[in-house]
This record gives sequence, C-alpha cells and structure tokens, in this order.
Amino acid sequence: MINVKDLHKSFGHNEILKGISTHVEEKEVVVVIGPSGSGKSTFLRCLNGLETATSGEIEIAGMTLTDPKTNIHTLRQHVGMVFQQFNLFKHLTILENVTIGPRKVKKVAQAQADKVARELLAKVGLVGKEASYPDELSGGQQQRVAIARSLAMGPNVMLFDEPTSALDPEMVGEVLQVMKTLAIEGMTMVVVTHEMGFAREVGHRVIFMDDGLIVEEGAPKSLFSDPQKDRTKGFLAKIL
Amino acid sequence: MDPIRQNLPVLLDGLRLTIQYSVVAIILMVVIGLIAALMRLSTVAPLRWIATAYVEIFRSTPLLVQLFFIVLGLPAILPVNQWFGQLTYPILAAAITLSLNEGAYVTEIIRAGILGVDRGQKEAAQSIAMNGFQTMRYIVLPQAFKRMIPPLVNQAAQTIKDTSLLAPVGIAELVYKGEIVIAETFASFAIWGLIAALYFVLIFSLSKFASYLERRLQVDKR
Repeated sequence: MINVKDLHKSFGHNEILKGISTHVEEKEVVVVIGPSGSGKSTFLRCLNGLETATSGEIEIAGMTLTDPKTNIHTLRQHVGMVFQQFNLFKHLTILENVTIGPRKVKKVAQAQADKVARELLAKVGLVGKEASYPDELSGGQQQRVAIARSLAMGPNVMLFDEPTSALDPEMVGEVLQVMKTLAIEGMTMVVVTHEMGFAREVGHRVIFMDDGLIVEEGAPKSLFSDPQKDRTKGFLAKIL
Repeated sequence: MDPIRQNLPVLLDGLRLTIQYSVVAIILMVVIGLIAALMRLSTVAPLRWIATAYVEIFRSTPLLVQLFFIVLGLPAILPVNQWFGQLTYPILAAAITLSLNEGAYVTEIIRAGILGVDRGQKEAAQSIAMNGFQTMRYIVLPQAFKRMIPPLVNQAAQTIKDTSLLAPVGIAELVYKGEIVIAETFASFAIWGLIAALYFVLIFSLSKFASYLERRLQVDKR
C-alpha cells in the first residue's frame, strides 16, 4: 500500500529525513515512535504531499507521489490525515466539516453526503452534535470529528500525526478507541504517537526513528521487550 | 435657517452623487483588493510584482494628485475624451481612480486577513484533497472575511470621506455643491456645518449597519 525508497527531506541546509525506506502492507497498522525532532511528523507529512520530498520515491495507494505527473489532489482522496491540533474548519458545523470534502471535491449530492456523514458521526460516537460548531466540542470530540471528516473521503490509507498529543489525559482513550476500531476493520494506518499502549496493542509493526533515520523496526512485542540498538533502548528507557 | 432650507435640494443632489460614488468605489475596492491580495500571495512571481507595484504606487502618492493626474492630466496626452466621450470620461476616470486608490489599502487588509487564518486550516483542506481554489473559496476566505470586517468598514468610511476630493476635479458631489451654494449665499458656517452633519449621518449609519452585520455573523457562524 505504501512503498518508500530512500526518502530525503531538507529545509534549507537542515536535513530532516536522511534516507527513509520502508514498506506498509494493506491493512497493516504501523506505529512510528521516536524523540521529538527525529523527523517522524515530517515523514508522515511527506506521505500525502503536505511536504515535498527533496529526493527519493514514495508510492502510495497505487500512485507515485514523487512523480511530478501525479495529480496530488487525486492522490489525497485516497490518503486521509488526522492532525495533532484537529484543524476542524472553525466556521462550519460538525456535519458540514464532514460533508464539505465529499460535496466540493467529489461532487457528491448533499443528501447523500449528509447520510454518509451521519453514519460516520455515529460511528465515532457523536450523534446529536451535527449542528454544533467545533469550539463547542471538547478536544477528544473534535479529534473524533476530524477522523470522520477524513473517512468521509473514503481513503485507502489513514495517517495520524500525534492524534492524542494535544488532548487532556481523560480524552485520549476515546480517540484511541475509534482508531482501534478502524484498525480492526482493516484500515491501513500509519500512526505517529507517544501512546506506547496503543502501539503495543493495536500496532502490527513499530518503527523507531531518530535523527532522520529509521533506527529499528519490528513487531511491537519484540521491539519493546528486546530492542537491539542502544538508541532504541535509551529512548524506551525514558518513556516506558 | 433660510439659506439651508432654500438650498437643501441642491445639496441633496450633491449628496446623491456622493452616495453613488461611494457605493461604486466601495464595491470596486473590495473586488480590486481581493484580486490584488490573491496576486500578492500567488506563487507566480510576476503576479506578485504587479500587485506589489500597484499597492506601493497608489499608497505612496496623494489621492488628490492621482485624481488630477488621471482625470485632468491624461486627456492632455491621450484622446481619452474621444474614446469615452467628453462627459463620460471624467466620471469614469474619477470613479476608477478613487476605487484603485482605496483598493490598494483593501489589498493589504485582505492579505493580512488571509495570512491570519491558521495554517492548519489550509493543511486540513489540502488533506481532504481540496485544490487551491477550493481551499481559498470554502475554507480560508470565509474565515478571513469575518476578521476583515472591522478594517473594511474603516476603509469604507474613509472612502466616503475621500469622495470629497472629487470636487476639485469637477465632480458635482456634496462638497462641490456646497461651495456653489456658499458662493451665492455667503452662509459659510451653516452650509459647512450641514455638510459635515450629512457626512456624519452617512458614515454613522454605515458603522451601525456593520456592527449589526458583525453581530449576526457572530451568532450564526462562529
């Protein structure tokens, strides 16, 4: 589903990604961990073209993102993204937040878009909030709307960029629960997170990144209990 | 009281023209400002240069000089009076010059409004596959517009007052008519007082309407 070959990304003279190569299977849930500044968010943002790769190749959902001939907007219809700060459209209601993509981008009729949006909002546990505005909702509720908004486009892959880092502790669980449900349903997911419990329980594979490189990757159980590299050991010792 | 009552129809005739020029200039300045603001934010360098040059030129020279230059100066070197008609050209040129001048300020208001929208809003729009136009039209501009209302109302008030500078280039708006009436009646104090009051009523109603509009947007859409 995702194939990354020797991905480099620099901002000016500052090289953030120094050659990332990895592969994500369909229905696989990959969790990316690492210290802040290790490039994990930049890596994720390269996967839907929010950042342009400096060099390397990215194939995702059957399209080559790094090919200049690829239509980035078509590609993004297949790659959903959830942000740390939710980024709900502040001037739109919850229902409109979920329907605006299908309606304006995919030209779905309003009645059909509304129907799908209500189903998705029910799925993330937000029935009754359709007419509210984002700032009337808690962080956890907003993040669940953001997930519904992405799902409304019918993506093949979902990218999560620290989806629970901006939440109060008591709201983390409700968002992780929605993500877990998605994983069980077979969504291909790449999740950047500090939630090691989620990584262990839901992740099929964990990637540890440091200083712009993949240091170590493997099944959660083995990576957490028996890390091979010193840097992985050092990082896990600090956070577990 | 007498000079006012006698000459009120003449002054109201001038007021009508003041309102007409104001309405046209306020509409055009927003249209021009939006286009120039989008050009200034464009990734295409020549578009940015053109818009920047436009803003700097109109902001760095006095409106009165611009009016003299375009309304009275241009016919000296170009047969614009033949192209547009002797009577039409000054009217057209005055309205467009005023709109371009005010549009330069509006450009900066709209540009600041667009830049003030959180970058995450744009990224979220991109992530649901919106293209540049859709992102601007459905996500960024609606949010930018709300915060642009107060400075735009300010600029509209300025525009109404700036129409008084059309008098020296021969547009028979309120100040122009006032000068005529004063030349006949010598009622300088009363007439200028009345003219000031008329401008006040005009602009005060505008700002009342604007705050009503702002309140409504606040209630309906956060």
